[in-house]
Amino acid sequence: MTLNAPLPDADVVIVGCGPSGMMAAVTLAEAGRSVIVLDMQPCPGGQIFRNLEANLCDASPAGQSLLAALGPAYRAGADLIRRFRAFSGACSGIDYRPQTTVWEVRPDGTVGWLQGMNAGYVRGRQVLLAHGAMERPLPFPGWTLPGVMTAGAVQTLLKAGRLKPSGRVVLAGTGPLLLLLANQLHQLGVKPALMGRTDRFSDAVRAARHLRLGGVLPLVKGLGWLGRLKLAGVETVTGLETLAAHGKDGVESVSFTVGGKRRTLPCDLLIVHDGIVPAIDIPNAAGLRLQWDGPNASWRPQTTVDGLGSSSLPPELYAGPCVLRVTGDARKIGGAEAAMAHGVVAAQAILAALDHGMGPSRAALRAVGKALSVRPFLDAAFPPGLARALPGDETIVCRCEELTAGDLRAKIRSGFRNMDALRGETRCGMGPCQGRSCMVTAARLLEDETSAAGCPPTCRGRPPIRPIPLGAVARLSGLDPRATIRLTLEDKPENAPESGPESGPEHGAEDMVDAPAH
Amino acid sequence: MFSDLGPIRDPVTLFVDGQAMSASAGDSVAVCLLRAGMSYNRLTPVSGAPRLPYCMIGHCFECLVEIDGIGNRQACLTVVREGMRVRRQAGAPPALEGSVP
Ligand code: FES
Repeated sequence: MTLNAPLPDADVVIVGCGPSGMMAAVTLAEAGRSVIVLDMQPCPGGQIFRNLEANLCDASPAGQSLLAALGPAYRAGADLIRRFRAFSGACSGIDYRPQTTVWEVRPDGTVGWLQGMNAGYVRGRQVLLAHGAMERPLPFPGWTLPGVMTAGAVQTLLKAGRLKPSGRVVLAGTGPLLLLLANQLHQLGVKPALMGRTDRFSDAVRAARHLRLGGVLPLVKGLGWLGRLKLAGVETVTGLETLAAHGKDGVESVSFTVGGKRRTLPCDLLIVHDGIVPAIDIPNAAGLRLQWDGPNASWRPQTTVDGLGSSSLPPELYAGPCVLRVTGDARKIGGAEAAMAHGVVAAQAILAALDHGMGPSRAALRAVGKALSVRPFLDAAFPPGLARALPGDETIVCRCEELTAGDLRAKIRSGFRNMDALRGETRCGMGPCQGRSCMVTAARLLEDETSAAGCPPTCRGRPPIRPIPLGAVARLSGLDPRATIRLTLEDKPENAPESGPESGPEHGAEDMVDAPAH
Repeated sequence: MFSDLGPIRDPVTLFVDGQAMSASAGDSVAVCLLRAGMSYNRLTPVSGAPRLPYCMIGHCFECLVEIDGIGNRQACLTVVREGMRVRRQAGAPPALEGSVP
């Protein structure tokens, strides 16, 4: 018995509606291709242009001062969002689905989605992952306390919640985003008690040799931010180490070491940041090959220049070639400009794969190179700080299951020496976040204990990678009849207790289409 | 921990643990909880420790709450709706208790 594959729902499914996803969607729609864009947020823009449409329309004094504080880099997304919206009306090429989470992606172009209480699968002839970045997980004592938040979270609260920090605010960490946020807070009348930077003067000196023409503007901008903070009388320290947050039911104080001296400060809100890294939840669960990016101390999907990933799954699990591409910060951290530039490259490559056009143009590739040219400088100037040293035994690594570094070290020493075994034994990575916050630290602990080298190992991701209510599963639409048969029969003949390894597939096996080999 | 940049616009009323609260249309549930100065949105199932939103972009899953009878929903990704019923989560749910009031 053979069943035909279901027809694709669109030429291209794009996951994520930030700079790269929007740019790719617009480029594809302009070429007459049908596109489905799935995005978690209620409006287009991604994190960088979060809630921009609404904030631009807000003429109130509060709205105006917010826009002024967020600055021109935020407003710069308006044009792209307008172009995206022009195509996302009825029958205009882009089927835009906001507030939609993705809980599965397969190399063959099948994407599982959830919107409210409805869930299903859509299929694209090509799929583009433009789901962006996340802030680097940075375990330190007390990082789970209420009152500790990331810089990105505070920016989101400004942009999409019109909330500003109050009380005693301490910023700690490194990276352009932290400096930018400190300035935005200052403009909104919030004076942080301390700007604690983990980077040092020596990092800046080392970075200087990476400085290219493209880096001059960001450098001037950054120096301007530092100057303004100084003028505002915000205390800034560099070389901050061994940060800890203290309190019973929330942060009450923070302590840290600077220049060999331990200091403690009262604190109501501790804002932390240690740079951003590609979000690998979707690529890892889709079985894409990952690589370790040394300077950025993070995984990234291994892709060609135009973003094509390669499946690490055994070929018998998936028929046909991998149609997944990755773009934007999900592929390589580069910021909005690089993301938009790469969105064009990825879209042109997809058009070529759909028998349309010659692939990425030289101009488009050059634009990516130019936008990324500042990264070596930024990576050297702001190396990982809070996450640099491995956490001490008492520090929580897995926030969901409340496992400490000591718990994990003990289990690794007692023989759980690969990520899946460690996860199975401890539940590290099995909580609701599915390893997003703990996997990199667990992998580094494992490497450290086993003196392994190379690309730190990841846990195998399995769908659903985001929780999906049972009621939504019951109404799942767009199921693939072949996969249904495969999944239904997979665990019967082979996993039944009485069938030994030699007994082979039993009756019903002839109904199985492309059954996975074990 | 946070204060408003401006007044609430296009108010929507929702209920958090039975208590009426107003939020701006388009706000996420997490914004609403933080604006109200709540000290936690969930107590962890393992130790009962209080947690508040941490990343605000859907990665950390610290913001889990029960929304309209369904548990473990991400407050930072859920937009407020008129009449929405939100419950903070207090540790591991009892196995046999119906969660819909
Ligand atoms: S606050 Fe991190 S997932 Fe909602």
